Amino acid sequence: MLYRTAGQFKTSYTADQALFPIRQDAYLLGIILIFAWVVFPLTASEFTFQTLLIPILIYSLAAMGLNILTGYAGQLSLGTAAFMGVGAYACYKMVTIMPWMNPVVAILLSGVFSAGVGVAFGIPSLRIKGFYLAIATLAAQFFLVWLFEKWAWLYNYNASGAIQVPNLQMFGVYIAGPQADSMVQYFVVLGIVTLLTVLCINLTRGNLGRTWKATRDMDIAAELIGINLMKSKLTAFMVSSYIVGVAGALFVFMWRGAAEPNLFDIPLSFRILFIAIIGGLGSILGNYLGAILIVGLPVVLNTLPQALGIPVSSAMVEHLNIMIIGSLIIFFLIIEPHGLARLWALIREKLIIWPFPY
Amino acid sequence: MKQFTRLAAAAVVASLGASAAFAEGLYAPNLSYRTGPFAATGIPLMNGQADYMSMLNARDGGIGGAIIDFEECETGYSTEKGVECYEKTKGKAIVTQPWSTGITLQVLPKTNVDEIPILAPGYGFSPMADGKVFQWAFNTPSGYWDAADMILQYIEGQGSLDGKKIAFLHLDHPYGKEPLPLLEAMAEQKGFELVPIPVGLKEMQNQSAQWLQIRRERPDYVVMWGWGAMNAGAITEAVKTKFPMENMLGVWWAGHDADLKIVGEDGKGYKSISWSFPNPDAPVMADIKKHVVDAGNTQSNEEEMSGVFYSRGIIISAILAEGITAAQAEFGTPQITASQLRWGLENINMTEERIAELGLDGMVPPFATSCSNHTGHSGGWMLEWDGAKFVKVSDHLSPNVDNYAELIASSAGEYADANAPWPVNEDCEG
Repeated sequence: MLYRTAGQFKTSYTADQALFPIRQDAYLLGIILIFAWVVFPLTASEFTFQTLLIPILIYSLAAMGLNILTGYAGQLSLGTAAFMGVGAYACYKMVTIMPWMNPVVAILLSGVFSAGVGVAFGIPSLRIKGFYLAIATLAAQFFLVWLFEKWAWLYNYNASGAIQVPNLQMFGVYIAGPQADSMVQYFVVLGIVTLLTVLCINLTRGNLGRTWKATRDMDIAAELIGINLMKSKLTAFMVSSYIVGVAGALFVFMWRGAAEPNLFDIPLSFRILFIAIIGGLGSILGNYLGAILIVGLPVVLNTLPQALGIPVSSAMVEHLNIMIIGSLIIFFLIIEPHGLARLWALIREKLIIWPFPY
Repeated sequence: MKQFTRLAAAAVVASLGASAAFAEGLYAPNLSYRTGPFAATGIPLMNGQADYMSMLNARDGGIGGAIIDFEECETGYSTEKGVECYEKTKGKAIVTQPWSTGITLQVLPKTNVDEIPILAPGYGFSPMADGKVFQWAFNTPSGYWDAADMILQYIEGQGSLDGKKIAFLHLDHPYGKEPLPLLEAMAEQKGFELVPIPVGLKEMQNQSAQWLQIRRERPDYVVMWGWGAMNAGAITEAVKTKFPMENMLGVWWAGHDADLKIVGEDGKGYKSISWSFPNPDAPVMADIKKHVVDAGNTQSNEEEMSGVFYSRGIIISAILAEGITAAQAEFGTPQITASQLRWGLENINMTEERIAELGLDGMVPPFATSCSNHTGHSGGWMLEWDGAKFVKVSDHLSPNVDNYAELIASSAGEYADANAPWPVNEDCEG
């Protein structure tokens, strides 16, 4: 009913290859974009910006970076947080060495550094696969966090070993640091995330994406049909680390405001891997759904008892929260092992053929 | 426009927290951590804090007639949750109590914009003592640099430091690195050798490498800046390697009764500097027993209540209560605002008489804060584990603040520069 495809004829190849072969998908995306760009900024409180909107977007972006590597190119990585750290520290060094630099440019450039580091740690992927590769990326995780701790130049010899985001202006408006307004930060994050999402969708649909998928599905077969595996794997590491690095810079500059080295430790890597897996490997939409479940839902659940006037101690809420989120993860993975994105795809398919399923 | 936005937001916001379920009174939320990896140390502190406030509410009907809404927001010691709690509570709160160095670091620059005092008793950034620069931050009654100075004073009392070797076993984390600048300066000044030995967050429970190094270095003293599982780990390692316990000294967060009960008699002689001390005979304990424990409103128990951390929780709440009282007296209203509380916290005068009046006899040394001095530098006592509990083994020690006043000022200045534009309170003299 909602998804009636009757009357939508494709008369050219271009129309058939369009991003949205079904018109309703485009409408739906339009509505989501209106919400993201207009409705949320008008209605959200500071609390909503800081605990829901901004973190969900940033985590989605990080998961998207990981998804390029793990979901599309099939290279398992456990070093996501460390690559985020590279982006964050690179951005910090750039804005402190060159304070005149436009912060958004700095954030976008910081991804270049993490892309470089990512490619370096991606080289072992040419010889090892699967779990063995995961262990190699784990080495990156340990090494980089160690480096953030020991290389004092990275944090400008600060006694506490942490980095603090200075107040940064762009066109006379504060966009990072404590003086920045949440709404401004939200728009910066949203802008960058939108841009990179469009980029990712097109990359994964194009030539590069197809070589990645071929590599993922069977690398020997891919090699036999003439795909250069080295190029395919290293570009995947590069694009993935770039996005993850930008996400890391946003994470610290647009949201946290300060970071200590152990922030970029394994728990963060796992969190992003969970988002990608629960959202759905090999999909773009899944990253958003996963981030909403893993990052957004606990925050909403935390505020529920108080909003409903149920007297529960906040420690109890926290315990309940962990249990509810845990069981939801298991529930979703049981009903659809391929993640939330696949679940949505099934719902959509059912809607298209409704009311006459065959 | 803003009005309209608010109206339109009402429906969304109501479901997303910031709900209007606050009782009349003063809203003083606490970012507690009763869950997570540090819960064992958090629970007694939180219980002490909450019990003191419930006692005031039950006995005196709040402070100056205003009931204290001492709500807890659970962070599990996670910075992410802490910021969530800060955002959730800051609308109505008159104070924020961040409770972890990570959260303090994050919230500190924001308080200048949101104008909420941040009360971090005995933790957080040492240069916060400079009230001119850190207008909204308070680490009363003593900071980490005071602690390091007092520990060195105590050691010096046993003989000159010249030529001695002191191992500094610390958590490899902003918290553990905090006293390093002071210790390095003192090492130069007093001629002792400082050997910093960091313990990574992942190695907290297995410190064999660090203690191997300590055995090799043969230090005269081990000064410990540990937290959570690290303390128990270090103390059991020290017992195992037969390090003379009387030469091991910790900061106040490394003086948790439960950590030492594990080793019991073997831990005899271990010392910890502290600005709080449990006095079961103090009138305040009787009042808490009468109004809170007997009424069944406590989450604590007998054993915990006799410990150092529970009594520290009481002192922390007492400091906040004093700040509120001072502000109420100055502004002549029980319903004080956040900025009025800032004035109150700047004008605490805990004299011996006032301590006795509050029924806190022997639980906290006297101190006074001012506009330029947000710490108060109360000093403290050296506590020693006697095999079953902590006892005082020194007279009141006070830190030689003059010795490092310059370090405080320069570090505070650096922080302000790095965070420019950073408003500084020019009205402060001295």
